[in-house]
Formats: sequence, structure tokens, C-alpha cells
Amino acid sequence: MATSMLVQGVLLIFVWILAPGLLGVAFVGAIIFSTFTMGQRVLNEAAYIRIDHKANDLYLAGPMSPEAYFLGMSTGILVVYLAPVVALGALAAAVVHFTLAQGLLLIALASVVWVFSASVGYVFSTFFRDNRAIWAYSSLFFNVFGVLPPVFYPFGLFPTPLHPVALLMPPSGAAAIAQMSLGITHLTSGELALAVGGLVVETVFVFLFAIYWARRTVRAD
Amino acid sequence: MGLGGSVTDVALRSENLRKVYRVKGAPPVEALAGVSLEVRRGERVALLGRNGAGKTTFLKIASTLLRPTSGRIQVFGYDVDQTPEKARPYIAVVPQEGKPFFHLTPREQVYTYLRARGIGRETAKARTEEALEKMGLLECANRLSITLSGGQRQRAMVATVIATEAPLLFLDEPTIGMDPFARRSVWESMRTLTRQGSTILLTTHYLDEAEALSHRLYIIERGRVLVAGTAEDLKRSVGGTVKVLLPGGAALVESFRTFGSCVTEGDALTIIVTPERLGEIMELAVRSKLMATVGPVTLEEAFLRVVGRSIDEN
Repeated sequence: MATSMLVQGVLLIFVWILAPGLLGVAFVGAIIFSTFTMGQRVLNEAAYIRIDHKANDLYLAGPMSPEAYFLGMSTGILVVYLAPVVALGALAAAVVHFTLAQGLLLIALASVVWVFSASVGYVFSTFFRDNRAIWAYSSLFFNVFGVLPPVFYPFGLFPTPLHPVALLMPPSGAAAIAQMSLGITHLTSGELALAVGGLVVETVFVFLFAIYWARRTVRAD
Repeated sequence: MGLGGSVTDVALRSENLRKVYRVKGAPPVEALAGVSLEVRRGERVALLGRNGAGKTTFLKIASTLLRPTSGRIQVFGYDVDQTPEKARPYIAVVPQEGKPFFHLTPREQVYTYLRARGIGRETAKARTEEALEKMGLLECANRLSITLSGGQRQRAMVATVIATEAPLLFLDEPTIGMDPFARRSVWESMRTLTRQGSTILLTTHYLDEAEALSHRLYIIERGRVLVAGTAEDLKRSVGGTVKVLLPGGAALVESFRTFGSCVTEGDALTIIVTPERLGEIMELAVRSKLMATVGPVTLEEAFLRVVGRSIDEN
């Protein structure tokens, strides 16, 4: 659990020392990044316990439905890793002084990002036949969705031509909306619509696809 | 049965079941080439065969985890291919090389699995303790599975599945890595389960296990059923129920060939015969100044003969 907060913790300390004015951005990024990585752990865990422990054979050859297996595993991982994120949220509330509405919005955004990430993680976990391949893809998702786009840094610093791309990526889109709610970033109404629409549509689509995929892959061809 | 399922005495029936694995860039592999078999309720049936014969493929299809290429397979009357969701409540599987979750204790592993199958708290607790006791795991029931030996982990897997008391249990090499005492505990648990009405289909490479445990057995070779019957049927099929071992008799194999099936191993000769011809063989052995050891044909020997014959023919 503690190692799950390593990246966020180190970044927060750096920001606190070097640019305390960006602490709000850093806390928003840390919380969204944390729920994103919790979702990505589903990729690692689902593939690992399927390949190494044959847990799919044990659980799916029984009355449990495939979608319950996917949701149970994702929620289980969420519960295990939630405590440090709650602590981070409490720290953020103390340092950044969120209003209730800002806090609730951040929780909602972080939750949606988790649903997106866990769904993507579960779907991709079914493609692996070998644990070694998981590490490479896991790192790729981690960097492409969490590190490169403006999750941890102000949205305005991201190259302008690429703003739509960042807004359409759920973690950076959610971070941009949260930064806007804190007054750190300005989004045009079109950009806001793109971020909200992208986040909702992509998350709903990916979640429904994960349910379909869980049913589809319960039996190998 | 308690599941409101169809009333049938046949727990599992497959008809001409085929499975062809197709991988891009490689020729198709026919893992099952038309397997027809039947397991009646309350039976313990063993699937025997060499590595790669198709046993695990059959179990995976029967347990709804793999689609067949063609043929039919039913669990308690439900078509496993067309309506797998109806068959699943009736089954539980010990997967080959399955492991308990390393960060759960055996007690947590069994209990969690029972709860995931929808079994109530109190029943799950009671069945967990009962299964742990049967598998001799009470002493290490609160240790994380990662700290257990290979045999203990396997026992935890078997405990997890037998605790379900599912009507049909598929056990893929369930006693692999277990010591002889633990294996016998598993056997006893399986006998108890079938007495209570469950049905068991297992694969094993331990022929003594198959003989001690199964009412009937099927030998699968190259995706086909080679032999079906009881262990005694199989032993009889190799030409006799008695074996005579003649150390130093290999050189005289032609003299003994008329009595029955002969196999040489080094300078030793083994002949499988019917008990009626034992006297004649002993006479010839004495005349040839050979020592002789007489014993019953084991299932392993019969298996080697039957499968070996099939390999030679192919």
C-alpha cells in the first residue's frame, strides 16, 4: 500500500519545496493519479492470478458470473489501496482548503477515472499469456495516461495543439476539470464540454465493453 | 441436489467431442478427436493418458472454460456449450497447477471461495473447518499460503473445492506434490463426497490412485478413448492378471513367448499370463535354471502395455 504512493509522495515533496504555489495542482494530480494506478493494478493482478494461480478456472467454473468476477476483483483492489488515497485526500483538504463542492467534484472525477482504468486494465489483462509481458504494457499505460499528459502539472503547460488529446484522455481530462474548479486552470466552454463528454462517454463505453469482454473471454476458443 | 436442476442419473455425457487448436503460423492440433464418455451420478471416474493426450482439454471443456470444436457435452442434462451458465452451479474445479492466493491463509482461501459461490456465512464457516480438518490443514490454517509447502498448497486447493460439495467435481491432477498420507486423506474425502451423492471426474498420472479411487476409468490417447472400463477390465485386456519376472531371462524370450505377452528390460524378462498357465512357466523356468518372481499385474503395467501398443500401431 505504501509503495503505491511513492511517486505521488515524492512529487508532492518536490513541489512543496520548489513551488508551493502549485500544491493544489500536485494534490489534484496525486489523487487522480492514485485512482488511475489502482485501476491499472487490476491489469497486473488479474493477469497474474489467471496465469500463475489459475484463479479464473477456480472461480469462473462455478456459479459466479464473469462480470461479478471482474467487478469483485476490481473493487477488492480498490478497497486494499484506498486507505492511502483517503489519507492523501485529508492532507489535500488541510493544505489546499477545498470547498465541499470542490471536494465532492474531485471524488467524483477520481472515481470515474478508477472505473475507466480498472475496465481498461481488466480487458488488457486477458490478452497476456506470460507474466513478463505485463510489466512492459503496465509501464506504458502508466506513462502514457498518467505521467506525460497534464495530470501532475498545470493543463496550460501542455502544448496547445495537443490540448484536445489531453482532454480526451480520462486522467488528464479529469485533472483539467479539477484544476479548473480550483481556479488554477482556465478551460473554454468547448474544452470543458470535451473533457466532460470524453470522460463520461469513454468511461461508460470502456466499462460496458469490459463487462461484455468478461463474458466473452470466460471461455477460451 | 439442492439446485433445482434436471433429474438425470447421468452427471456428465460427451458425444463425439472434438477440439482443434488453431494457432496462426502453426498447423492445427487436434487435442480431442471424438471423445464419447459418460459419468453417472455418484461415480468416481479417472481419465488416464500420457502428457498431451487430451485429458486437461476435456476437463476444460466439461468445466465450461473452453469451447469445443464440435460434438456435444452435457452436465446434468445441460448443454455445456450452449448454456454454460446453467451447468456452472453444478460444478467445481481443482485446476491443474492451481495455487491458493499467497496472501490469504488456507482458512481465508476456502471461506472466501465458498462465499464467492454464494454459500451463506455459517455454512461456509462450518464447511471451511471441515475441509481443513479433512485435508490435515488445521495446524497451518492461519499461515499465509506463501509460507506453505507445495504439498500444503495443493491440499489447500483441494480443500477449497471439496468444501463446495458441488454435485460434479473436476479434479485435474489433484494430489500432485502430496505425500502418501495426504494423498490418502484426499482419497478418503473423495470417497465420502461420492457417498454423499457428488460425482468426481479426475485426471491423474498416479496409477495406484486411479486404481484405489475410481469406479471406472478411461484411457485417452491422442485425443481418443482407447479403453473404457474398470481397472480389472484393463488389467485383463493385456492378456492375463499375473506377471512372472525372470531376472536373466531376456535371452530366452522366444521360449516363453507362447505363454503370453513378453517384455524385456535389460536382461530381465517379464511375462504376463493367465493364472492357469503359471505351472507350465514355472516348470520351464526351473528347467532353464532361472529364478522367478510372481505377482499380480498392476494397473501401471497394464496402462503401459495398452498405450504402448497403441503407440506402436500408430
